[in-house]
Amino acid sequence: MMRFFNKRKLAIAATSVAISLLFAVVGVQVFRSISRRGPLRGDMIALEKRNDWQAFGGTWQLVNGAMRNNSDERGAKLMNGSTYWMNYMVQADVLLLGEYGDAGLIIRASDEEEGVDAYHGYMAGVRDLDDTLILGRADYGWREYVAKAVSPRVYSQQWYHLKFLAYGCVLAVSATAPSGSTTTAAIEDPGCVPSGRFGLKSYNTGAQWRNVEVRSATSQDLNAMIGYTHPPFASPLQLPTGAYPTAYDKYFEPFHRDLLEHHTDVNAQTISSLRLLSPNTPAPVTVNGVVTLTSPVLFVQDSSGGLAIPNIQTNVPLEIGDEIEAKGDAELHDFSSILRNADVRLLWSHTPVLPVSVTASQAATGDFDAKFVEIRGRLVEKHSGPGGTFILTIDDGSQSFLAIGGSAGSVASLRLLKDRSRLRLRGICSVDPSYTRDLTAFAILLPSFSDIEVIEGPPWWSAGHIIALTIGSLIVVVAGLTIFIYIERWRMQAVLEERERLAHEIHDTLAQSFAGLGFQLEAIHNAAIKGSSILSQLNVARNMARNSHDEARRSIAGLHPEHLESMGLLPALENCAHRITDGSSSIAVKTISSGSETALPLRIADSLFRIGYEAIANAVRHAHPTNLTLSLVYQKSTLELIVADDGSGFLVSSQSAGFGIRGMSKRAASISARFTIRSVPGEGTAIHVVVPLPLSSLRAFWERIPWPFSWRKQLHERANY
Amino acid sequence: MEIVVFYRTSRISPWRVLHVPVLLLVAMLAGLGCQRARPVIAVIPRTCGTALWESEHAGAAVAARSSDLDIYWNAPMRDGDIEAQISLVEKAVARGYAGIIISPIETLPMRTPIEHVLAHGIPVVVVGTELGIPSGGNRLAYVLNDEEAGGRMAARRIGLILHGQGSIAILGIDPHLMSNITRQRSFETTLAHEFPRIRVAARRLGLSSIPQEQQAAEELIYKEGNIDAIVALSLASTHGAYYALVEFGKAKTIKLVGFDQDLLPPIRAGGIDSVVAQNTFEIGRLAMGLMDRELHGTAGTTKVVVAPVLMTRENIDSPEIRQILNVVWWPAQ
Repeated sequence: MMRFFNKRKLAIAATSVAISLLFAVVGVQVFRSISRRGPLRGDMIALEKRNDWQAFGGTWQLVNGAMRNNSDERGAKLMNGSTYWMNYMVQADVLLLGEYGDAGLIIRASDEEEGVDAYHGYMAGVRDLDDTLILGRADYGWREYVAKAVSPRVYSQQWYHLKFLAYGCVLAVSATAPSGSTTTAAIEDPGCVPSGRFGLKSYNTGAQWRNVEVRSATSQDLNAMIGYTHPPFASPLQLPTGAYPTAYDKYFEPFHRDLLEHHTDVNAQTISSLRLLSPNTPAPVTVNGVVTLTSPVLFVQDSSGGLAIPNIQTNVPLEIGDEIEAKGDAELHDFSSILRNADVRLLWSHTPVLPVSVTASQAATGDFDAKFVEIRGRLVEKHSGPGGTFILTIDDGSQSFLAIGGSAGSVASLRLLKDRSRLRLRGICSVDPSYTRDLTAFAILLPSFSDIEVIEGPPWWSAGHIIALTIGSLIVVVAGLTIFIYIERWRMQAVLEERERLAHEIHDTLAQSFAGLGFQLEAIHNAAIKGSSILSQLNVARNMARNSHDEARRSIAGLHPEHLESMGLLPALENCAHRITDGSSSIAVKTISSGSETALPLRIADSLFRIGYEAIANAVRHAHPTNLTLSLVYQKSTLELIVADDGSGFLVSSQSAGFGIRGMSKRAASISARFTIRSVPGEGTAIHVVVPLPLSSLRAFWERIPWPFSWRKQLHERANY
Repeated sequence: MEIVVFYRTSRISPWRVLHVPVLLLVAMLAGLGCQRARPVIAVIPRTCGTALWESEHAGAAVAARSSDLDIYWNAPMRDGDIEAQISLVEKAVARGYAGIIISPIETLPMRTPIEHVLAHGIPVVVVGTELGIPSGGNRLAYVLNDEEAGGRMAARRIGLILHGQGSIAILGIDPHLMSNITRQRSFETTLAHEFPRIRVAARRLGLSSIPQEQQAAEELIYKEGNIDAIVALSLASTHGAYYALVEFGKAKTIKLVGFDQDLLPPIRAGGIDSVVAQNTFEIGRLAMGLMDRELHGTAGTTKVVVAPVLMTRENIDSPEIRQILNVVWWPAQ
C-alpha cells in the first residue's frame, strides 16, 4: 500500500500538518494577547447575568440589584472574568452583614476552589475586627501585606466604596466611607501574579456588593490613586491578625457591640410546641431559631423542628446561620406551622445548622417539613423556573420529589448536571403545595447550588451511549469490510497479473516453440519420400505438435481474459470459445443473456469465467459438439451461467468427475454458488452455475462513493488493463 | 563570464519537511520528561485562617522546603464541617497527592476515610488526635499535642490562681474528639489529686459554634453565680466563655483558663487569664518531617507528642510564644 503514498505525498501531508500547527499556535497567541488586555470597556458588570459568575462556597443571591452572600463561611468566593486579564481595576460598593469578618474584591485570581484561601491571586477589602483596610495575596495560604486603619472605624451594615487596581506588579486599593473619607494603600509585589480573574469574597461574615465595575487600567489610573510615589515592596505580616492590636478599644468594640444584642426572651417556645396551639386562631408566640434559608421564604429551625416565616419585618438582612428571635402569630398547617406578621431580631451569627440525613420515604411522611435535611436521589430531569430559578425532578425509587433553587451562578452550573446522576442535596424539606404543586409529596428548597453534590455520574448504558456505540461498531464493521474488499481486490488483481504474465510466457515460449516445431515437421514431411515408413511417425509427431500448440493457445486464452472487465462475462466467454475452437465452423457458438445485466464483482466474474472456460474446453475436447450455447440469466438476487452442448454426453456419476469437473465445483463453492451438471449420453451436456449476487443497491451505493484516493482509480485502471 | 545555475530536481524529502516539527516534539517531550514534579502533600487542618492553624501551615512549610516537597493547604470553610474535610481527603487521593497530613475534626467519622487512604498506599500523618487506628507499618503516623500535659498545666494554673480552693466550671467537653476527652480527664485527675479543695461545680458539653458556646456560658454564669473560675476545653468554648464574661461584666472576677490559642488580645488585656496553647508550628514541622521519612521509607518513630505551652499575659511577648504564633509559610523573598 505504501506504493500509493510516495514521498511527495508524505511531504505534502507533513507540510499541511506543520502549517495547521503553526496556525493553531499563532491563533492561540493572538487570542491570549487579546485576552491579556483585560476588559476593554469600563462597563458595569451586570450582576443579574448570573451565568457569568462562578461560586466557590457561600450562598449567593441577587437582592435589590446587589449581590449578596448570606453565608458566614470563611472564604466564600464568586468569580468572573478571564484568567488572562492583566492590568485592570475592579470597583464596587461593599457592605459587611456581620461582625468579626471581612469582605472585598479579588483580582488576578486563578485555580480557585472551595476553601478559605484556595486560589492564587490578590484580595483587598474592609475588616471590622480591627477596623482596617486589608490587602494581601492568597496562594492556598494567606499573606497579609497591608492592614491599614480606616477612620473612624469599619462598620457593618454600611456601604464602603472599594477600588482595587492591578498594574504591572503594583497593587493599589482604596476604601471610601459614606462620610467621604478615603483610605488608600498600595504595594509592589516583585514576583507578582501576572494575570487572572476578578471576584467577590467574604470571610467569616455575609456581605453585599453592588455597582460592580471592571475596566482595563493604565499607569494614569494608578497615579490617580496613589500619586507618583513608589509604593513599598510587599512585606507580609509575621503574626496572625489581632495578635498585637494597636488599639484595644478598637479591637474589643465590635465584640461589645455584638454582645449587647444577645439578650433573649426567656418565654420563647420551642418550634415543635407550636403544634399544640389552637388550630382555629393564630396565637402570638416567640421562638428562637437558626436561619436555614432566606429566600424565597425565611426558614428557621431549633432542635425540635422547623418553621417558615413569610414577609418578615426586620432592619437587618439575615444570613444562613444567624440565630434569631421571632415574635409573631403562629398559624397551624397540615404538617407544620408558619409564623405570620413576624418581627425578627438578630441574636448572633455563625450558628449553622447541620442537616439531618433522611430518605425520600422518610421525608414524604411530613415529619421533616421545614427542616434542613440531606437527601439523596437520582436526577430525572431539570428545567428552568420563573425568575432565574431551576427545578430538578429527583427520584429515589419509591418517591419522587422536586428540588428548587436559584442562586447566583447556578444556571451555568446546572448544565454540568447530567440526567440520571445520583445526587446528594441539602436543603429545606417542604410539603407546602406551592412548592410541590401537589405533584410530589415534598420539595427540597436549596439554599445554593453548592448544596447539590454529584455522588455518582449517570450510568454508562444510556441511550446516547448505546447509539454511539452502535454507530461506532457499524463504522468499524464497514471499515473492516471495506478493507477486506480492497484486500481481496488487490489479491485478485495480483492473481490476474500473474496469469497474464504466465500467458505471455506461454505465448512467447511454448506456443512459439510448438509452432516452430510444427513448421519443421511439416517441412520434413514434405521432403520425405512418399511411402516411407517414417511418414506415419512424422504424422504422429505433427499431430502431437499441433495438439500441443492448440493446448498452449487454450491455456493462453484461459489465462488471459483480456476483455473480462471491459466487455463483460458473456462476450469474454464467447471470445474464449472462438479461440478454443480456433474459429472452426463445425461448432456453432451461441450466446444468450436474459434479465437486466448488473456489474459483477471481479471475484465472481473471474470464477464464472474460469468455470465457463473449463466447460467450453471440456465440450470441445471431449464431446465434439456441433452447437455450443453460453447463457447468462440475471435474476434479482442470482446469476445463472449455463454452458450447454449437443455433443456425445456422458453418464454423470461421482466416478465420472474428473479433475476439470472437481475444479469447476471448487471454484463454484468459493463464490457460494450452486454447481450442477446435467448430461445424457448422445444428447449433450449442460452445466449450471447459480451464484448469489451481492445486494445491488448496496453495491451501487458503494460504487458511487467519491473516493478521495487516486489509488483506487489506479487500481481500477490496472484491473481493466 | 558564464553563470551556472544548478537546479535541484530531486523530490522533496519527507525528512526535510518533518525534521523541524519532529525535533520540536522530541524536545518538548524531553523537556516534559526532565521536569520532575515535586511530590505534593495535602495538609488539611480542622479549618484555616485562624491563629491556631495558620502556624501549622508555617511549620509544615518550613519542613517541606527542606525536604523538597510541595504543600496543598486547604480546610473546611466552617468549623465542624466534617463532611467537607472528608471531601478534601478524597480530593487529595483523586489528585494523586503523595501524602496527607490531617487534623480530624472528629475521631470516629474520619476512621474509614483514613483507612481508605492507607489502602491506596498513601502515607498519612494524623495531627492533634488519635483515631484509634494503630500506627507503624501501615504508613500511618501521629503527631499529637500532649493533652495529658495540657490538662495538668491548666489544673495547676487553676490551683495557682485560686490558691488551692474554690469552685470551677468546665465548658467545651467534646466526647467526639479523643484529644478533648484526654484533655478533660487529665485536667480533672490532676485537679483532684493536687488541689482537692477545688470543686467542679458544673460541666457543659461543647457546642458547634462560638455563639452557642457563649449562650451555654451565659446560662452557666446565670445559674452558677458563685464560681471562681472557668476552664474552657476548646477554642470555641474559650471564645464563648470570654464573651459571656464580658457581657456579664465578670471578666475580672471569674478567671478564665482556655485551650487553643486564638483570642490573643484578651490575654494581654487580662480578660483571659491564660490559654494552654498547642505548638501547632512545631506540630506542622514534625508532621511534615515524618511524612518525608515515610515517603523515603525511613520512618522510625510513628508517634510524636509535642508539649503545649501555657500562654499568659507575662509570656505572650516571649520568643517562644512568638515562634508558636509564627504564620510565615511562604519562602523568604
